[in-house]
Amino acid sequence: MDFAVEDSPEQSAFRVEVRGWLAKNVPASIEHPADAVDLSFEQYQMRRALGRGLGERGWLYPTMPTEYGGGDLPVEKTFILYDEMARIGLSLPPYYDAGGRMAAPTILVWGNDEHKKRFLPPICRGEVRTWQLLSEPSAGSDLAGVKTTAIRDGDAYVVNGQKVFVGSAHGADYSWTIVVTDPKGERHKNLSWLMIPMDLPGISVVPMDLLTAGGEGASGCGVKNSVFFDDVRVPAENLVGGENNGWRVATTHLEVEHGGVGRLADRRIVYEFIDWCRERRDGHAIVDDPAARSELVEMFVEAEITRLFALRNHWLSHTDQPRSYEGAQYSLRRKLSGLDMAEKMLRIAGPYVLTKDERWGPLRGAVEYFQRDAITALHPGATTDIQRVVISRRIGIGRREREKAGVLR
Amino acid sequence: MDLSLDDTQKLIQESARDFVRSDCNRDVLLALDRKPGGMMDGLWQKMAGLGWTGMALPEEFGGTGNSMTDVAVLFEELGTGPVPLPLFSSAILGARTLLETATDAQKKAWLPEVASGDRVLALAVTEAQYGWRPEQIRLTARKDGADYRLTGSKLFVHDAAGATDLLVLVRAESGAGLSLLRVAARAPGVAVRTLDGFLTGISEVTFEDVRVAGDDLVGTAGRAWEGLRRAMLPAIPVLCAYKVGGCKAVFDMSVEYSRERSQFGQPIGRFQRVQDHVIHIVNYLDAARWTTYEALWKLDSGVDAACSVHMAKSVASESYMRACDFGHEVHAGIGVVREYGLTLHTKMSRSLYHLLGAPKLHRKYMESALGLVPA
Ligand SMILES: Cc1cc2nc3c(=O)[nH]c(=O)nc-3n(C[C@H](O)[C@H](O)[C@H](O)COP(=O)(O)OP(=O)(O)OC[C@H]3O[C@@H](n4cnc5c(N)ncnc54)[C@H](O)[C@@H]3O)c2cc1C
Repeated sequence: MDFAVEDSPEQSAFRVEVRGWLAKNVPASIEHPADAVDLSFEQYQMRRALGRGLGERGWLYPTMPTEYGGGDLPVEKTFILYDEMARIGLSLPPYYDAGGRMAAPTILVWGNDEHKKRFLPPICRGEVRTWQLLSEPSAGSDLAGVKTTAIRDGDAYVVNGQKVFVGSAHGADYSWTIVVTDPKGERHKNLSWLMIPMDLPGISVVPMDLLTAGGEGASGCGVKNSVFFDDVRVPAENLVGGENNGWRVATTHLEVEHGGVGRLADRRIVYEFIDWCRERRDGHAIVDDPAARSELVEMFVEAEITRLFALRNHWLSHTDQPRSYEGAQYSLRRKLSGLDMAEKMLRIAGPYVLTKDERWGPLRGAVEYFQRDAITALHPGATTDIQRVVISRRIGIGRREREKAGVLR
Repeated sequence: MDLSLDDTQKLIQESARDFVRSDCNRDVLLALDRKPGGMMDGLWQKMAGLGWTGMALPEEFGGTGNSMTDVAVLFEELGTGPVPLPLFSSAILGARTLLETATDAQKKAWLPEVASGDRVLALAVTEAQYGWRPEQIRLTARKDGADYRLTGSKLFVHDAAGATDLLVLVRAESGAGLSLLRVAARAPGVAVRTLDGFLTGISEVTFEDVRVAGDDLVGTAGRAWEGLRRAMLPAIPVLCAYKVGGCKAVFDMSVEYSRERSQFGQPIGRFQRVQDHVIHIVNYLDAARWTTYEALWKLDSGVDAACSVHMAKSVASESYMRACDFGHEVHAGIGVVREYGLTLHTKMSRSLYHLLGAPKLHRKYMESALGLVPA
């Protein structure tokens, strides 16, 4: 076993290269708001430009094949990339691109050559930003119950319906969208995925007012929206993975979303909070209190377990090994421990953690954001209940046959 | 034994329910939430008109001298809103503090106006070195002839934005003990700044060389802490009752939603996992309710209530917060949509967690009350 604490000579050369490139290409004026709602359009554009720069080198989506604009990097090097980005407070991609993160690996499995050539390079090179559109007012956990229809009419699908809790601030180029292509068809056999250009006529985006829109720091969403489709004509060739085959495609998408591919920079806030508790203010430090110290240790343990689950998942998926319950396990643990940590922070540090006041809010409002986001974060992707259902099926309890994980490349 | 409400209490409950339903519905509360600084004037007048500002004060000071249980029944209903808390800060905590600390002349001068709602109190105790223990109070009033001069700040003060009078706990200059000063909220040099974030009705109050007349020293210099503790003892379970109401609202919302919302062709309440969440909520609700009401009963019947009060505070604070968490599990997405209303409780449960001492502190007091540590 090797947890790769030390870089090989080749890896350290790569690290030097990445660090040097970032030093040159990350603008000094880049801001790191605790809540992406405070990310201005200019700052967003700055992050997109950085994304394109990374994309040119295959570093934006480092595990995707080079022929589609990825970096085809081995697991150790992707680590270094994430690590170097995290060192300067950035994630990869450095802005919200959930559609790209889910759609790219899914299209790689389910798209035809034409799809791969048309959709993947712009995503991997950072030329487009993509949202993922699944949930509807009456279909959340029950994804197969979506009602947005896409009816074939000549060379297009005509889309009608409403999606909720989707997207972000500052718009998108594409929406990776699950729709019903056979309204009379049997459940699970009536769905398809469309890559919908967001500038088509008939699409309207209405922001929702939520406790938080989810995500961490400036790569969070900022806002979530309702998206309305009113007779939107989507070119038929934008249907990916086969008409009415959408449920199988969805299993791949969900595997990615449920954490099956792992995540490298995680729970920054916990480590930063621990440091903040060490600081001496007015002669006092939170760590002077033994009860606070033992809660901090527990937080650290949880953060580490979650980190290791993510690390394992990253390793499993990028070395093409079989997985079953691991994605949902990571996601569930992360959600529950997040809520628990938020409560611990409140106990340890008092009402400070509730304010983003410039003078009194810890870590420039990041702790206050976490207090809210730990609650919101219980739901995206799949609720904790659904994660438990998935884990049980994958472990093989409750059903005769073990359910298999969604196909990844 | 009889654990039911008496007739007076049923009437109080009824009129409080009416008030929440017709004057403080969700839209009103959401509008209040968006407007920092607390209570709309119309609502305050209405509550005063209903006699609520005088409930915890004796008749001789213009109040109605209700039992603490009566008062708690009112606050349980207000908690279901959740209706913002200036009523608690002024008519309960503030009023009881004056009752326990002020001179007779001061009581006569101030309390009738508190009872009528014309004078609105807020208690300013905690500071940057946050906590509810006396040694954590550093702000010092400097003697200046017959007056005092005050420079410094109080942090995480509840309901200061709408108050007319601040009761400010300070270190007496002599160094011995704590004193309480009445400071007009509009006095030159006083600034109230509402804090932004996942909290509500909480401010930083700064004093810039504020002159306080000698007559506004409440009661005796250096002797405020004992009175304040006596005032907090009955105020705490009233606050707990408010949290019970909060749990109740979250429970009702969750039960209703698990009946109404369908996924996979059935009401989500059929799923055992959803049932588990709702059961957590009802357990928190009932734990908070019965610890709170037993403490109130002890207070009203003159039995030593300290241990029960500390227990209620610790249980109710945690219960309200966790009931909200499980409420969010039941509701998933819709629960974090602000207009839905659940987040009003979530935010309130966090805002009130530390007020009058966090669970951790009250468990510490229980250690002493139970004789687990040498006195
Ligand atoms: C911040 C945020 C970001 C989001 N981002 C996106 C996005 O980018 N794209 C997108 O498409 N969607 C997004 N969503 C929506 C998210 O996927 C849904 O909220 C989630 O799937 C749950 O659906 P729901 O909210 O309709 O809850 P429901 O499905 O109605 O669930 C209600 C309750 O029932 C329980 N339940 C339901 N079915 C079962 C079952 N079979 N067994 C046991 N319990 C069950 C749930 O666990 C929950 O407790 C986002 C949501 C949030 C809050």
